[in-house]
Amino acid sequence: MNIDPFLVWLESTALSQWVIGSPSLLAFPGILTLHAIGMGFAAGISAVLDLRILGAAPGVQLSEIRRFLPILWLGFWVNAVSGVLLLIGYPTKALTNPVFYLKLSLIATAMVLLVKISRLAFDDTVLSGAEIDPDRLRRMRPLAIASLVCWAGAVTAGRLLAYTYTRLTAAG
Amino acid sequence: MHDFQVWLVKAIYRHSPVRDLMHTAWAWPIAESLHFIGLCLLIGAIGSFDLRLLGVGKRIPIAAMHRFIPWGLLGFAINISTGAMFLLTEPEQYIFNPSFHLKVTFLMTAGLNASMFYLTSYRRVFVAPASLEAPTRAKVIAAISLSAWLVVIVAGRLLTFFRPAQCAGEQTAILLTCVPW
Repeated sequence: MNIDPFLVWLESTALSQWVIGSPSLLAFPGILTLHAIGMGFAAGISAVLDLRILGAAPGVQLSEIRRFLPILWLGFWVNAVSGVLLLIGYPTKALTNPVFYLKLSLIATAMVLLVKISRLAFDDTVLSGAEIDPDRLRRMRPLAIASLVCWAGAVTAGRLLAYTYTRLTAAG
Repeated sequence: MHDFQVWLVKAIYRHSPVRDLMHTAWAWPIAESLHFIGLCLLIGAIGSFDLRLLGVGKRIPIAAMHRFIPWGLLGFAINISTGAMFLLTEPEQYIFNPSFHLKVTFLMTAGLNASMFYLTSYRRVFVAPASLEAPTRAKVIAAISLSAWLVVIVAGRLLTFFRPAQCAGEQTAILLTCVPW
């Protein structure tokens, strides 16, 4: 399937040209910056949850970490939006690079793991105040390790996008 | 300060122990990836602790939450190490970059602010019963901490858009923001 006509069209849109062509710091530099901040909160709070499951900060009741989840999800949505804007700016650069699909797969896996972990860690029996049963905590450990690996991989893949692309624009 | 900046760049060029390593094909991108992973650890652990002081997750004892801080310090150590590798490889890209000056200023702000926490609030916060509010002073420190780290990220991300050009004409600002050669 040849997606070049689509890429040429997308790159010709006003939004795409604003993202990469505007001299404003709020355009490309600002979007990149938001993407880094969203990453810090999404991957960072996820890592805190994973580390707690793996035994860090044992005095923190696991179920109470759910109070930080809205900030994690805010970071995720900031990055979904800023990521789409960056994609609209340089669609060819991302869509012709296998590393971009690797990054998306790793983020998707990390989010599925987060939902699974949330179901186990924050369900009704736990929220009624009962101590989490050690067997359930043990079952969550592989999920927490996989989550940390996925986030580290997603961040690395994201950074490598700047070094591994073969085409910058549909024309070039 | 201009003379100091020039001396520093030249001194780094004379002695840099990591330049050959950093000029291999993948060293720079790998160091950058580690720098971003360190950022996540730092924001995750230190940012969550700041948020706890500000009132998120009030049922978590502050002292218990503080046990995440070593993970934030690990992120900080990763970032000081990888950051030093960038600086020691391309010193003039940083020493003359206004965004780097901003970043270092707010790194120092975050550092001083954290020492204020341990000097003024640490004891009070730690003897407080589990669900108690953090004292106002600790909340102010937490808000400054979060803001300072966010500015550090902003300034770090913007480094590449403020790369110093070659100097033209006389430079009168306190810090040199162009390359004098």
